Amino acid sequence: MDLIKSLFISASGLKAQNNRMQVIAENIANADSTGRTPDEEPYRRKIPTFKSHFDKEIGAEMVEMGRIAEDQTDFVERYEPGHPAANEQGFVRRPNVSTLVETVDMRQAQRSYEANLNVIQATRRMVQRTIDILRA
Amino acid sequence: MVTRMAITDLPLFQALKSKMQWHQVRQSVLAENVANADTPEYQAKELRDYEFADHLGRENFGLQTVRTKAGHLSGGMSSPASGKVEEKDMFEVTPSGNNVVLEEQMMKVAENQMDFQAASAIYTRSLGLLRTALSKNA
Repeated sequence: MDLIKSLFISASGLKAQNNRMQVIAENIANADSTGRTPDEEPYRRKIPTFKSHFDKEIGAEMVEMGRIAEDQTDFVERYEPGHPAANEQGFVRRPNVSTLVETVDMRQAQRSYEANLNVIQATRRMVQRTIDILRA
Repeated sequence: MVTRMAITDLPLFQALKSKMQWHQVRQSVLAENVANADTPEYQAKELRDYEFADHLGRENFGLQTVRTKAGHLSGGMSSPASGKVEEKDMFEVTPSGNNVVLEEQMMKVAENQMDFQAASAIYTRSLGLLRTALSKNA
């Protein structure tokens, strides 16, 4: 039945956005994770990617998380001579996570999640209407 | 071969049935669009509008098995409903090549749901008419 199929498709959307939210949470949680020694790299920001794949059983393009890429931009340096990870000049390399970017990303994930939820609700109402035909 | 006519084979019910099936397919197409709203290079899809010609093509649902021996059961198999799915030019394309606009899709989902409700309500009413005709103390 097509309506049940729609539910599965939307569920794949929910799952993908959920995974994305996890990556964003990881980034925000590690926004201050520097290395312990000057040589050790601080936390590198992760970027979630999506890809659509054709599900043969459902017969539709479902969405799933692709590879989690790493942000290759430079680390931010901050002057903090007392820090254990500070180099000879007193600079500490900090993660290339921007809380602002992560927050915006989070809002987008939230919005997409809600959109998928809305479709599920609409579909459920349609299923309910179909069942109501029996009752009337 | 004995042909039986179910209540749902009445032209009115057939029309509503194919219309409701069209809405079901459309709902899954819209669900696909929303699920892929953040997928790079994904192109939004849309079902071709429901037309009278679609109904004409779908008057006879499915296949009927042939009974070659006494004792065989007859079984019906309904063919999966399929509409013409086409990729559509949308208003806006993001830098990642995705052209799904969530607001637009939400509107379409609501519209689809309402139309489906209308069709199913008419279906229910029509069943009520038949029931009235059949009942003793009308």
